[in-house]
Amino acid sequence: MEDVQVVAMLVRRCIAGDATAWEEIVQTYNRRIYNICYRFAGSSDDAQDLTQEVFIKMYRTLPSYDPTKGAFITWVTTITRNLLVDHFRKTKQDRMTDSMDTAASEHEDAQPLSEQIPDHSPAPDANVRSREVKETVHLALGKLSPELREALILRDLQDLDYREIALVLKVPEGTVKSRINRGRAELARLLQRTYRQVM
Amino acid sequence: MPDNTKNGMQCNEFDLLLSDALDGVLKGAALDRFQAHAGSCNACGLLLAEAEAGRNWLKSLTEVEPPASLVSSILASTTGVDTQRLRAAMPVRQPRVSWWEHVQASFLEPFWAMVRQPRFAMSFGMAFFALSVGLTVAGVKPADIRQISLRPSAIRHTYYNTQARVVRYYDNIRLVYDLQAAVRGIRRNLTPAEPGPSKPKEHKNDTTQQPEQKQERNYTQSGEQFILASAPRGPSFSTCDLPVVSVTTYRRFV
Repeated sequence: MEDVQVVAMLVRRCIAGDATAWEEIVQTYNRRIYNICYRFAGSSDDAQDLTQEVFIKMYRTLPSYDPTKGAFITWVTTITRNLLVDHFRKTKQDRMTDSMDTAASEHEDAQPLSEQIPDHSPAPDANVRSREVKETVHLALGKLSPELREALILRDLQDLDYREIALVLKVPEGTVKSRINRGRAELARLLQRTYRQVM
Repeated sequence: MPDNTKNGMQCNEFDLLLSDALDGVLKGAALDRFQAHAGSCNACGLLLAEAEAGRNWLKSLTEVEPPASLVSSILASTTGVDTQRLRAAMPVRQPRVSWWEHVQASFLEPFWAMVRQPRFAMSFGMAFFALSVGLTVAGVKPADIRQISLRPSAIRHTYYNTQARVVRYYDNIRLVYDLQAAVRGIRRNLTPAEPGPSKPKEHKNDTTQQPEQKQERNYTQSGEQFILASAPRGPSFSTCDLPVVSVTTYRRFV
């Protein structure tokens, strides 16, 4: 992961006003933060804005980082997660888990999600199919509740261990594991109708 | 999840071990018990299958590439300046800084930064509030301001109108009027009495009266006889009793 000493030195230089150190931090972590934001928010524009907000908050609160309390990446991820939760509350997106059979709109005659997601199985090009599969999984991930989604993103996409996730989410490790299991199962159920070969 | 005990393992325990089993860290007897429970409990077996499938789906998601401008946007929004490395990477030449930008950087921006402080903002806000209240009380409306003509003649006209209005207002104040009257009275008392009204001038073409006095006086001056201007002709000055006339002068107070 990260060399604690190097990162601590980088942070100290940055606090002292070294613009190069700050640029190095931005270069190192922007990709990771952008991906978390993209997977959580769902759109590239939102992810870009949120990533920028995360770094602005980091820049302002950098002196409050205490290396003895945890790794820098955990601190950064905590800031990111808190901003994402704030963003979710502001936009009032009701992201409670939807079943594939649940109508996406309030109209009774609206198509269920499983029919809204096009079946691209006969696509001849493997690259195109792979991209479409990723898009579909990304769409299904966005349908999960925020609690399940953030746990899955941190574990399966960012490879954080359970202890770090528990620190970021401020819940016990057992709860983290339970959310991850439920999230994975819910995601599989969401995709089951579209791709019969899931199991 | 039902809390059934099968093969020496409860469903809750299975749920807790599920993550470790999928991560491959569950080994030995614990793994055997886990697998046995999954085989015997339909709900837990289904959960294991779905969780594994979901995990595999998520593994198919790769990292996305952030936009190329993201780093420069972040640096611009945090430090406010682009770094040397970014400047070197930029192929375009920096534009020349104009004198106005110099003025902005040297004077306007520091001033604006000071003005943006809360205490100054509050002061300006109060001043604006007081000004707006004053204008409202004075009857100034935005519609009036829109109708103001900025032609020089119109400005002069407005100026003189305003001046006349102020003077009228000033003169009509009772205190000012009393003071002016008092000053005029004092000045009148200090100056000597004015001469009486002069004799109305006679018309030159008036042929019905005597010839002009001037001509007559000229004629008389040529002689040696002394005539008092105010005395009637007749007996001598010493022997004549002049009537005593009392004259009251009415001074006209303006």
